[in-house]
Amino acid sequence: MKAFSGFAVLFVVLLFAPWLITLVGDAFWLSILTEIVIWSCFAASINFLFGYVGLLSFGQALYFGFGMYGVALGISELHLSFWPAFFLGPLSATLIAFLTGLLAVRLTWHYFAIITVVFSLITYFLALTFKSLTGGDDGINFTLPDILNFMGYKLSLADTTTQYFFMLIVVALCFWLIKIIMGSALGRSLIAIRDNDVRASLIGINVYRLRLAAFVIAGFLAGVSGTLFALFGRYASASYMFYHVSGEGVVWAIVGGVGTLLGPAIGTGIFILIREVVSSHWQHYALIVGAFAICIVIFAPEGIVGLWKKYSRRGRV
Amino acid sequence: MNQTIVALAINGIVFGLIIALIALGLSIIFGLLDIINLSHGDFFMVGTVLTYTTLTSLGYFWPALIIAPLIGFVLGVLIQFSIIQRIKNNAALSIVATFGLSMIIQEVVRMTFGAAPKRIMPPIQGTFGLFGVAYEWYRIFAAFASIVAIGSFFLFLKKTKLGVWMRAVRHDRDTATTMGIPTQQVYLFTFGIGFAMAAIGGVIAAPITTVDFRTGVDILPVCFMAVIIGGLGNLPGTVAAAVLLSFLEGVISGFATPTIARIFSLVLMSGVLLIRPQGLFKGLTK
Repeated sequence: MKAFSGFAVLFVVLLFAPWLITLVGDAFWLSILTEIVIWSCFAASINFLFGYVGLLSFGQALYFGFGMYGVALGISELHLSFWPAFFLGPLSATLIAFLTGLLAVRLTWHYFAIITVVFSLITYFLALTFKSLTGGDDGINFTLPDILNFMGYKLSLADTTTQYFFMLIVVALCFWLIKIIMGSALGRSLIAIRDNDVRASLIGINVYRLRLAAFVIAGFLAGVSGTLFALFGRYASASYMFYHVSGEGVVWAIVGGVGTLLGPAIGTGIFILIREVVSSHWQHYALIVGAFAICIVIFAPEGIVGLWKKYSRRGRV
Repeated sequence: MNQTIVALAINGIVFGLIIALIALGLSIIFGLLDIINLSHGDFFMVGTVLTYTTLTSLGYFWPALIIAPLIGFVLGVLIQFSIIQRIKNNAALSIVATFGLSMIIQEVVRMTFGAAPKRIMPPIQGTFGLFGVAYEWYRIFAAFASIVAIGSFFLFLKKTKLGVWMRAVRHDRDTATTMGIPTQQVYLFTFGIGFAMAAIGGVIAAPITTVDFRTGVDILPVCFMAVIIGGLGNLPGTVAAAVLLSFLEGVISGFATPTIARIFSLVLMSGVLLIRPQGLFKGLTK
């Protein structure tokens, strides 16, 4: 019941955010909120692998990048309209997640973390090599097609409120998808693998195939966030494939609370807010981010959601 | 063209020896403490910055060879004592901590040292003819300095009590503790030594590369490649892999861009990870 009311409050706040923000401050904060929503999906992708299957990936930026380039190249090179390009992003990310996952999920633990970094570095350097197509670190720009242009009725992401709701709906659907998966037999099998992969395989779970499935789903989630971010910034850049982007996502997910549905979103929100609030006054905000990550890891290894759960439980007793 | 390739290949070996030194530090931290240290590249960067600071404040390059590893050792012990030690039995969390640490180190250097890359003149000037290419004497010195540092590290591991303790703890921590080895102190020392080795690598490399708060980000993947391709915990393998990789990258960059050379090493590394996760050289040495 308590958790439900928390969800409800969050839902109402997010639903009325465009108007609430204009009441209390600058409209610029709506685009920050949009960014938080988009990156939440990226942190959720890392959390899906690490929190539910026990595989720590440091290479989710690869699939984020494929999402970005899927939509950007779809629009600028293939001249697709909005919806085909929109689906091309996650589709290409999912496909490449399947191909790399075939190899990556054969490894676990340290080795898995390292091979995911290696794969993302390979694609990063490939993207730098094919600069004419990808634009390298500078990236490529594109003009945004309308979402809908029907009998004079136009809907476009150029309107920031429309953009916010579009991103919010897509990301909410992704979180809903995660919730459904984790409530299903697939989700319970994944948890079984996370807790003890030997025991899971002994009761007849195909560990390799399920890890691959989880890897593909996580790749899809990262691809969705990359697609949304490309639409948000109207550009795609190879720099988003670098392992630092993955690393930041890992920090967000773990600080928020790994293995929980909303933890990654909370972590993402906190870090992006720190960045935006502090960086306008003090350019060395990375110091705060680093120190905050270290403090959480030492003093609240369960993340912020874990901390909150612990204290709310203690309060009740 | 052929002459350039010879120079590039020798450059590769020189740089590979420096990488080997840094990667050894990474490997002992990995092997003993069981953590992936994402700030190791920044330890190297701290070494280059300390070299620059020594040169500008004292006017000489050479003291940096003592100062940088000493400061590095102290910083390493402090980091282990105040951060890594407090994270209990969770490798994933320690990765996050070292990532945060990496951000802090880079930002502190950017605050104090500045964001603009700087260059250092080699303390040994002059060149000599090498297959028709003018080659810097300093690079030859860099190779020898790295070999001496690597050699002393192996001697230290084999001959001193502390070195034996380190090997014992890596081999079997519980037994080592039962035998009375002060494991926690060995951990402190290991992290200090790891940082110090990266810092020496930074001093030696400083006149060859640029001094910049971002160099650590570029050097880290190379060190990981050496550690993985050499085989986790296989220290001579790490050295061999570092030299081999840099040599190959040097040769390939004679035909193609350095980026393609880097892609080649990364593909090689994924192959090793997938086919021989115990490393390329396992079974050859023993």
